[in-house]
Amino acid sequence: MAIHKPKHIMLVDDDQLFLKLIEQVFKKSGFNCTIAPSAEAAIELLKEGAAPDIILSDYEMLKMNGFEFRRYLMNEPLFKDIPFVFLTFFSDKDLVEKGLDLQAIDYIIKDTPINVIVSKVNNILFAVDKQRELSENEIKKAAKSLNIKSIPVKPPEIKEFKVDFWHQAYQDIPGGDFIDFIKVNDRYSFIVLGDIMGKKWMAWFFTFGFLSYVRSAVRFAAFNKEYSTSKILQQVNSIICFDEVLKDILSSLSLLLIDSETKRITYSGAGDLPLLHYNHEAGDLSMISSSGLLLGLFEEGNYSEKEIILKPGDRLFVFTDGMIDFIDKTGKKSDYNQFLKTLNPFMRKENNFTDIAANLFSNNLSEQVDDRSIISIYKN
Amino acid sequence: MVSIYKEHDNVLLVKLDIKEASLENGDAFKTEVIKLFEKYQKSIAIDMSAVGYIDSSFLGSMVSAFKHLIALKSELLLIGLSKDITNLFALTRLDKVFKIYNTFDDIT
Repeated sequence: MAIHKPKHIMLVDDDQLFLKLIEQVFKKSGFNCTIAPSAEAAIELLKEGAAPDIILSDYEMLKMNGFEFRRYLMNEPLFKDIPFVFLTFFSDKDLVEKGLDLQAIDYIIKDTPINVIVSKVNNILFAVDKQRELSENEIKKAAKSLNIKSIPVKPPEIKEFKVDFWHQAYQDIPGGDFIDFIKVNDRYSFIVLGDIMGKKWMAWFFTFGFLSYVRSAVRFAAFNKEYSTSKILQQVNSIICFDEVLKDILSSLSLLLIDSETKRITYSGAGDLPLLHYNHEAGDLSMISSSGLLLGLFEEGNYSEKEIILKPGDRLFVFTDGMIDFIDKTGKKSDYNQFLKTLNPFMRKENNFTDIAANLFSNNLSEQVDDRSIISIYKN
Repeated sequence: MVSIYKEHDNVLLVKLDIKEASLENGDAFKTEVIKLFEKYQKSIAIDMSAVGYIDSSFLGSMVSAFKHLIALKSELLLIGLSKDITNLFALTRLDKVFKIYNTFDDIT
C-alpha cells in the first residue's frame, strides 16, 4: 500500500503568538510545518530548499506585505506553482479581488476558528491533488493512445537463457527508467536498461530520445555485423553530446549482448551500477563493474567491454539506482551493499525471479523513493 | 541552500545546507551555483558534509552545474562526502568526474 506523506505547510505571519498557535494546530492535524516570521524569512527558507505543498501567509506584515510576497513568488519559476492562501483580518472586497488577481487560491479571514482554517487548507490540498491526478490521467491516456512505451510488456525468448524483468514506477507515474530487448536474430539479442537522471514525466519524455538513439545504433551495428557493445555506447554518447535537446540530459545505461551460440554475454556500462553475478556453484553474489561514464557527460565516454560467462544455474542482475535506495531511522540512503544483502538470501533458495521480485521489498525498508527496475538473466 | 564559507584567490568555498538532496531542490541548487559563479568568476568548492542522501535528479543538477563551470574554464569541487555518497560516486564512476576532497584545507 502506498504510504501517504504528511503534507507540508509553510506558515508566514509576523504575529509570533498567532504563528505558534496555528503551527501547533496544524501539527496536531498531521502537517509538517515550516514557520516564517516575515515574508523575507519565508523567501530565504524557500531558497534554502523548503518545498511546502502550500503556503498560508498573513497579509498585513511589516516591510514586505502578503501581496508583495505573493507577487515575488509569482515571478520565481520554482515557487510560482506552490498553492498560496492569504490570511488576513481585512474583509475588504477590493483586497479579496486583488488577492485573487495574484492567483492566490483562497482568502481566509483571520478570525475564522483555527480548526476551520485547517479543514479549509485540507480541502484546498485535496482539490489540488485531484486536479493533478486528473492531469496525470490525461497524459497517461494520451501516452497510451500513442502506443509509446519505455518499458516492454513481456521479456524476450532467448535460446539457452531465461530473461525476466521487474519494474515499479515511482508514485505510479512513468519515470526515467527504460528497458528494451532487441532481438537481432536467433543468435544475437541485446538487453538495454537505462535511467534518465530525473523523475516522473519530465524524465519519461526524454526516455524516447535515448531509446531511439540506442535502437538505431544497435541496428546499424547489427547491419554492419559489428557486435561491440562499447562501440555502440560510444556512438550513442557522441550523438547525445551533439543533440541540442538531449545534451543537458544525462542517463546511465547498461548494454548487454547475448550470444546464444557461444553462450557468452558482452557488457558495457555508462555510469550504471555494477551488475551482480550469482555463481550457483560457489553460492555467492559478486559485482561486475564497467568503466564508462554517464551518457551525455563528455564526448569521450571511456566505454569498455566485459565478457561474462554464466554457468547453468547462474544468474545475472542488471538494475537501476532505485533498487539500492532505502529509508531507515536516519532518513533516505543509497546503499548498494544493503541491496546485495537483501538479495542474497533469495539466491540460496530455489526461487524463481517472480518470487524474488515479489518479496524483495516486503520488509520495513520498502518505502520507494525512485523508479525501480531489475533485469535477471538466468542460464538454463 | 548554498552559503558562502570563505573566498580564496581562485576558489569560492561554500556549504550545502540540506540533508536530502533531491528533485525538489536540484534546480534551485544549480541556479544558485551558477549565480555564485557569475558573481565571483572562480571555481566553486562545495562542502557536502550535511548531505546524507542524493537522488539521481540532484546528481543530474550537480553534473549539469559542473559542465557549465567546465565550459567556462572553472571547476566544481566537492568536499566532505558521506561514506554512502562516496560509495555511490565510486560505483557510478562520478569519482572520476568530480575532484573530491576531505576538507577545505586540502584544496587551499
